[in-house]
Amino acid sequence: MNREKIISRTLVIFTVLLLGMVAVPSATSLPTGVAGVKDSGCNCHGAVVSDSVIPTLEGLPETYNYSEIYTLNIAFTGGPADPANINQGGFNLWVSDGTITPSDASVQSWNPNEVSHTDAGNDQTSWTVEWTAPANDRNVQFILHTNSVNGNAGSAEGGTIGDEWNRLSIQISSPVVILEQANPYTVLTTLIVVSFVLLLTVLTFIFYQNNPESFDWEHFAPWVAGWLTTTDHKRVGTLYFLAGFFFLGIGGIMAILIRIQLMVPGNDFLTQDQYNQFFTLHGTTMIFLAAMPLINGAANWMVPLQIGAPDLALPRLNAMSFWLQPVGAVLIFTGVFSGTGADTGWTGYAPYIVSETAHVGTTMWVAGQILLVASSTLTGINFLTTIAVMRAPGMGWMQMPLFTWSILVANLMLFLSIPAFGVGLIQVYLDRVIGTAFYDAASGGDPLLWSHLFWYFGHPEVYVVIVPAFGIISEVIATSARRSVFGYRSMVYAMAGIGVVSFIVYGHHMFTSGMDPTLRFVTMLTTMLVAVPTGIKIFNWLMTMNGGSLVYRTHTLWALGFLVTFTLGGISGMFFPSMAMDLHFHESYFVVAHFHYVLVGGTVFGLFCGVYYWFPKMSGKMLNEKLGVLHFLTAFVTYNGIFWPMHRLGVWGMARRHHTYFISVDEVRGVDGEIITEAVLGALPPEAAGWNMFITVNAILFFFSNFILIANVVISLVRGEKAPADPWGGWSFEWLTDSPPPTPSFGRFENGEWHDLPTLADANEHVAHEPSRLGIWFSKLMVADKEEVEN
Amino acid sequence: MSDHDEHHHPSAWGPHDWTHGAPHNSWSPLIMSMGFGIFLFMLAEAFTNGVFNAGYVPLVFVGLFVSLVGLIIWWRQDMSFDGTYEPMATGAPFKNIQIRKVAIWVFLMSEMMVFTSLFSTYIRYRTGIENCQTVFERGDWMQQGYTLETGEALICFEPASHLIASSMWHIAPGAINTFALIISSFTIVQALRWAKKPFGTIDEEVRRKRVFRYLGSTWILAIIFLILKMTEWFIGFYVPEIEILGIHEHHIHSLYAEGYLINADHYHHHDWVDEATGATMLADISVSASTFYVTTGTHGVHVAGGIIGLTYMTFKAWTGGYTPKNAVSIEYFGLYWHFVDLVWVLVFPFFYLY
Ligand code: HEM
Ligand SMILES: [Cu+2]
Repeated sequence: MNREKIISRTLVIFTVLLLGMVAVPSATSLPTGVAGVKDSGCNCHGAVVSDSVIPTLEGLPETYNYSEIYTLNIAFTGGPADPANINQGGFNLWVSDGTITPSDASVQSWNPNEVSHTDAGNDQTSWTVEWTAPANDRNVQFILHTNSVNGNAGSAEGGTIGDEWNRLSIQISSPVVILEQANPYTVLTTLIVVSFVLLLTVLTFIFYQNNPESFDWEHFAPWVAGWLTTTDHKRVGTLYFLAGFFFLGIGGIMAILIRIQLMVPGNDFLTQDQYNQFFTLHGTTMIFLAAMPLINGAANWMVPLQIGAPDLALPRLNAMSFWLQPVGAVLIFTGVFSGTGADTGWTGYAPYIVSETAHVGTTMWVAGQILLVASSTLTGINFLTTIAVMRAPGMGWMQMPLFTWSILVANLMLFLSIPAFGVGLIQVYLDRVIGTAFYDAASGGDPLLWSHLFWYFGHPEVYVVIVPAFGIISEVIATSARRSVFGYRSMVYAMAGIGVVSFIVYGHHMFTSGMDPTLRFVTMLTTMLVAVPTGIKIFNWLMTMNGGSLVYRTHTLWALGFLVTFTLGGISGMFFPSMAMDLHFHESYFVVAHFHYVLVGGTVFGLFCGVYYWFPKMSGKMLNEKLGVLHFLTAFVTYNGIFWPMHRLGVWGMARRHHTYFISVDEVRGVDGEIITEAVLGALPPEAAGWNMFITVNAILFFFSNFILIANVVISLVRGEKAPADPWGGWSFEWLTDSPPPTPSFGRFENGEWHDLPTLADANEHVAHEPSRLGIWFSKLMVADKEEVEN
Repeated sequence: MSDHDEHHHPSAWGPHDWTHGAPHNSWSPLIMSMGFGIFLFMLAEAFTNGVFNAGYVPLVFVGLFVSLVGLIIWWRQDMSFDGTYEPMATGAPFKNIQIRKVAIWVFLMSEMMVFTSLFSTYIRYRTGIENCQTVFERGDWMQQGYTLETGEALICFEPASHLIASSMWHIAPGAINTFALIISSFTIVQALRWAKKPFGTIDEEVRRKRVFRYLGSTWILAIIFLILKMTEWFIGFYVPEIEILGIHEHHIHSLYAEGYLINADHYHHHDWVDEATGATMLADISVSASTFYVTTGTHGVHVAGGIIGLTYMTFKAWTGGYTPKNAVSIEYFGLYWHFVDLVWVLVFPFFYLY
């Protein structure tokens, strides 16, 4: 075996080990891991389970009666326990439903569903407790752990040596037979593991397809190693796409679980505590682990190609930006599977985020976010530098394709704002870890400072995720309309304007925080100002189509869909800067509807559009148009079905980030079980139940409609039609090279210099084949200075 | 992929063959990222809400070690860099400027925002929380029951400068540090100057020695900075009796020994005693201490990062790795180093004098 093979083999193994090491925090939080007493048992004495200890739990009915109180006898036999010992034993009893209460001083209660022995109860082998059965139908599970103790507590060995324990699990059913309710954590974990395995299988299959003869480890290891170590902007871009789509799926799974919970009023699939983690992780995943990587994927692929550069300015740093993300993701997910994940919302508001009541997973969430901030900073350095210095000779700022402009603006915004978030995160991390007092209100810390640091970043961030979509839409609409984009310059100035204004509006997220009315007024005006450049862009797109002749392709449809949904999101956005309205809409489903119209209808649709547009370039294979149109139609309809009704729910007052809601005809029970029939404060009109059901059904349909895209991609990779260099008649640089492009993307490096880099004149040459206004436009705008081209 | 690349069998873990373009595959990014992840995770396990859990400390070092392995792979790939591939800007307006230089300037832009955010935090608390001295002088802290007996502490802002600027000796480490950094900014420029002297004008051995020595002195000055910083924070020092200068023997306590701590919610300063009753004012100064340690600490981390970089560069200089062709990498580091220096020039007055 040659040296190369040995090295790549060892390193792949090494990487798998390391990845495992990073993943351990998540793994130890699996349902069978550190999930608390219920699973790991009591503080069990002795290392192993012992069959000689036999726990018993008596007094349980086979099916219980509602709210009846049962007296349970806990006992065990066997093991080293002996009446002559100082201590004989102990127990821990956990129940899934109803409440257990101690009936004498030998038992203590940890919480309503968990009891254990006291010091006084240490010298016994049997105990009694009382269990109040639940008032509704449940399959109730009891988990009992008992220790049989040899009584050497005072000895040097520390007391637990030689002790033995065992576990007993009993299930009883409810008066009415019900289906077993799924544990949301198990569902989530299973789905994530299944998705991951599917991803790996598909990747292996694609490797197999590439060359069925060489399907062995000998070839596989270098292939994997090649991907793990790549610094090529195109391959890193592909990695970003993979990671992004994977997490889009994970975020989607969580969204579905959230929606299942909200399907009917007063549902209890997720508890409040679980719900908090699910929406926190849903938001974080979607923004930081799905939307941003997908944008980076498109940018990695297209920016160097569009400006005629051989690669990004700092390829190795680019790989670093990518690899920080999966590691950050693992940290962010720590604790989620066992119910100790972050529960702060994706905004992580102080002081809750630094309090000890926030789940322990919050610390890891913060740590993961710190890595993502580092990643974004490196990405920013790379793209700003690349775009500033590596444009093809002759391509001035005002000849750059609009997608590249959008990435420039987005990265500039991100770059200047994310350090504030990073510093805030470090402060929170230190508060939670070594105990500094930045957000400790009891020591004079100001929780609002966090909101400032967060939203100083957070508001530009929402533009960071939408502006690249603007860029994609500009490219697609111009190409599809067979003409240059209308008002190129105003497009650039509009994006730059959004970039500037986005830094002076963040106060609109803090209107209800007791802000100075004068500042509120100023923020209201600046926020409304954002609509101006955004409106300019929308009208420019419309005008582009007006002057052109639209060719309907899948990506054209997505672009048109984007125009509709993004505009709707923009309009609902105009309600918030108006103070009086914001006070009502804040923290309601109206907000949820708004940001999903701009995030899903804007960013995600824009990215789908980009995928359909550039996939032939990236893979060299055409996608199936029929499947594409089917994907668009199903996704567009169900998407609107999810989020349009949310506006109405929000106006009715349905609260965001709440695990359930009530409608005014609900029976509501008081503490003593008496029925309060009057409407609960904040109850929604009865129609709300129907709308929520409607939304959930649509959410599930929307989720599955996206599998059409995945199927389309896989089918095309395996047996798609070969793509020509310029399938759509686009005219920026990326359409000049082959599909897929070679490495380096342009030119060749010899004797310490680049040769044969393209110049803008080459692009113009390409366009010259286009009979239409386009050629005229280019001759006016994009012809470079003669001297510059010659250099 | 062209055959051209395949002939070279680029290695993913170093040294790179830089004669035909940008770096090839590298294990470094993946390994380094995982190292950072392990480090942050284990650090959070080792301390939870200020409670120390020694069992995890070895794992913190595992994280650091893995990051270091990644860094060494990165360096190994860079060691062979002789300037063959110093990519130049192609587009206006930066035409023919080294691309990496532009990147460093862009990077410094975000560094600026990092320190801006830290200073914003400082200003928010410095101006928003009453100064402890003011509270003491106003004298109503007694009547309000903020006494030892009640055990209740008054929230106030105790600037570190109150302790540090209290004596010439106390401020000495900080002041010396200021000069150490300024001199190190000079030595790094000297290293660049010698590395840049055109071929033939000086003996190559002389160049090697000079560059090595200047980078080495920069390294030493940076180390001095951190040592003095630790002295000021944790160790303290001893001032001997020197009669001619009128100096009396005494101990300068570290900030730690003075009780100026991030968790000092029951801080009492020896000045804040009521003459009449002997009662001491109790103050909760944890916010001010947090801003002080974290801001100066962030700067310290930048110095430490510089030391790590300098270690590599000094080593490379010792092997004779810097010539006029690739002297610019010293310049890139120099830009960062000047920035760290300039930040100190702001941190020092804000935290040590004001
Ligand atoms: C299947 C599609 C989706 C559904 C059904 C869905 C559903 C929801 C729901 C119901 C909430 C509100 C939870 C609450 O506040 O009570 C929510 C929150 C959120 N969603 Fe989505 N979502 C989807 C896709 C996305 C996408 C693609 C993104 C981003 C690109 C996104 C970003 C967010 C954010 C940022 C929040 C706020 C989280 C927080 O309050 O901390 N969602 N989602
Ligand atoms: Cu905003």
